[in-house]
Amino acid sequence: MKILIVEDEPKTVAYLRKGLTEQGYAVDFVANGEDGLHLAQTLDYDAIVLDGMLPGLDGIEVLERLRQSRQTPVIMLTARDSVDDRLRGLGAGADDYLVKPFSFLELLARLQAITRRGRSESTTITVGDLHLDLLARRATRAGRRLNLTAKEFALLAVLGRRQSQIVSKTIITELVWDINFDTNTNVVEVAIKRLRAKIDGMFETKLLHTVRGMGYVLEHRPEGAP
Amino acid sequence: MTVTPTSIAGRLALMFAIATSLVSVLAGVAIFGFQSLELKRHQAEELSARSEIIEAMIHRLEDPTRWPLMTDKLKSFTPADGSIRYRIESADPRFRFMPGKALEPARDGFGVIHADGKRFMTLARHVPAYGRRPDVRLVIAADTAPFDASRYVLGVGVLAVSILTIALVSLLGWWIARRGLAPVDRLSHRAGALNPADLSLRMPTRDLPAELVGLMTAFNGALDRLQGAYERLAAFNADVAHELRTPLGNLIGQTQVALSRPRPADELEDVLHSNLEELERLRTIINDMLFMARADQGALAANLAPLSLAALSHKTADFLDVLFEDAEVKLEVRGDAIVVADASLLGRAVTNLLDNAIRHGVDCKTVRVTIETQDKGVCLSVRNRGGPIPEAHLARLFDRFYRLDRAREHSGEIHGLGLAVVKAIVAMHGGSVFARCEGGEVLIGFLLPRPEGIMPDDRAERTTSTPPRAESTVTEAA
Repeated sequence: MKILIVEDEPKTVAYLRKGLTEQGYAVDFVANGEDGLHLAQTLDYDAIVLDGMLPGLDGIEVLERLRQSRQTPVIMLTARDSVDDRLRGLGAGADDYLVKPFSFLELLARLQAITRRGRSESTTITVGDLHLDLLARRATRAGRRLNLTAKEFALLAVLGRRQSQIVSKTIITELVWDINFDTNTNVVEVAIKRLRAKIDGMFETKLLHTVRGMGYVLEHRPEGAP
Repeated sequence: MTVTPTSIAGRLALMFAIATSLVSVLAGVAIFGFQSLELKRHQAEELSARSEIIEAMIHRLEDPTRWPLMTDKLKSFTPADGSIRYRIESADPRFRFMPGKALEPARDGFGVIHADGKRFMTLARHVPAYGRRPDVRLVIAADTAPFDASRYVLGVGVLAVSILTIALVSLLGWWIARRGLAPVDRLSHRAGALNPADLSLRMPTRDLPAELVGLMTAFNGALDRLQGAYERLAAFNADVAHELRTPLGNLIGQTQVALSRPRPADELEDVLHSNLEELERLRTIINDMLFMARADQGALAANLAPLSLAALSHKTADFLDVLFEDAEVKLEVRGDAIVVADASLLGRAVTNLLDNAIRHGVDCKTVRVTIETQDKGVCLSVRNRGGPIPEAHLARLFDRFYRLDRAREHSGEIHGLGLAVVKAIVAMHGGSVFARCEGGEVLIGFLLPRPEGIMPDDRAERTTSTPPRAESTVTEAA
């Protein structure tokens, strides 16, 4: 996966570059619109992360000109989040939109979403001895059927599809409840607590882990791992 | 006296001057014209009178020997300055009186001639023949100089009076305008004293002319609103600073402690996790504040579409399901109405209202959402057991960072912006929020404008076409 970052704030670039590289992406970066447009037009990227406010050519202009020749998926970053700005960005051809300050996990999830298109998904998920049958909506652990509500199953499926990845609360509320606004409620915490009780409660090996401040991970961690 | 074209006093004076000029010029021209005609008529009457006397004398005179008596008389009538002159023409030389050739071209009836550099008004008449005397023609001429002089004096007089009047009226006009506008000067002076240091200063409305009272009342209203906004901003700044201080303090403190000596990786990781939590909290506060700042600036919701408040409440309840179950609280949704709104924004508002109801309910078994269409608009209220909340607190529930329970001030989850966000969202839809206590129950909700273009029978159709869901609970919905 090859990603182009067009962003002029050095610290932002530094952590995006580091984070994305560690996630296995090949990352190019440029600090201004002209170079960004040139690279985007001449090289093949899987996705472009484009800052809205850039010296010289601004993000919207870059996007408008890029869209005349290429359909590379683009995530716009901006400090402004008025509805007008958002519509302008999406109208110019952005595939997604992130408002600063954003979380890295959020960016990662959205990058995965816009680059995943076309990939077929398996209908079963296995995490350690936990098995999910997405078609039958059935979950078993160590052969024992887990009695999950519809929402708990949906939550488990969201985590299972991204096993070993940290899934943020925002992504969970969006995918499980179709709620796409910031909430300061502790719904996700409570739901995870219940799910954890059902899937990990009576087992020695815990599969559902909390990453403080970031989200949740469903993964089988071998003996001795933290 | 400085009269600039932009000064009201100057303009009024100028307009007075123009009006007076027009009136006095018209009056002057009229007086001058009438008076000239009158003078002319007077002169003509005098000539006629003289002519009648002389005609009478000539009339019965037929003896040429008696004609010298006639000429002597005419000579004696002629003044030394020649201002009145006589001439009698006749075919018979014995009946003539011709002192000079000057009056020759005079025509019959009234006429004007010029002679010796002077202007004369003339009257020429024929006296019919009598006995031996043939037909004679009598010409009388009067110098017009005295009448012209009168006309001149009159003209100059009229002009002088006009100019004087115009000047006087302009000055008076300017003075009157200045006097009339004196209250405006006073107001300007007072307005100059307005400053941010004393926000309570207002413009005086007593002893003001009626025309200015409305303007000043409106102006004072604007000052009231500005003062309110300014004070809210000041209070808000203090709140923000206070609210951001705690997480920032935590971040700085625990990072400094962590760096003060070498530490194992898992300990550092723990600090980073804790920092991240604080940072997320800061991010939420900042995002909420930016959101409200936009609402304050009058941003309106876009992406408007008709939506059912009951459906929205059910969707929200579905999301908050686990919280309701945890708190062992049931939800009832009563009634429905269609509003035109941004579903995502309004969903956030309803979520905050319900979350607030669960969090702050006391000994509460049921949270009831009531949706009704009123004259004023569409009303959604969330009712739970709680309270009683004093009136002073109720009014402030929607303020930013306002908490009923100061002890819970620094719990990580609540940062006191939930209801403020509700208020901002409702404001973006042109609605209003309310909070009141009714016998041990707290009602918090909002009023949105009724959607235009959705006819009452359209709504009736909607309710009959879907199964009645006047009452349902979260457990059913899940």
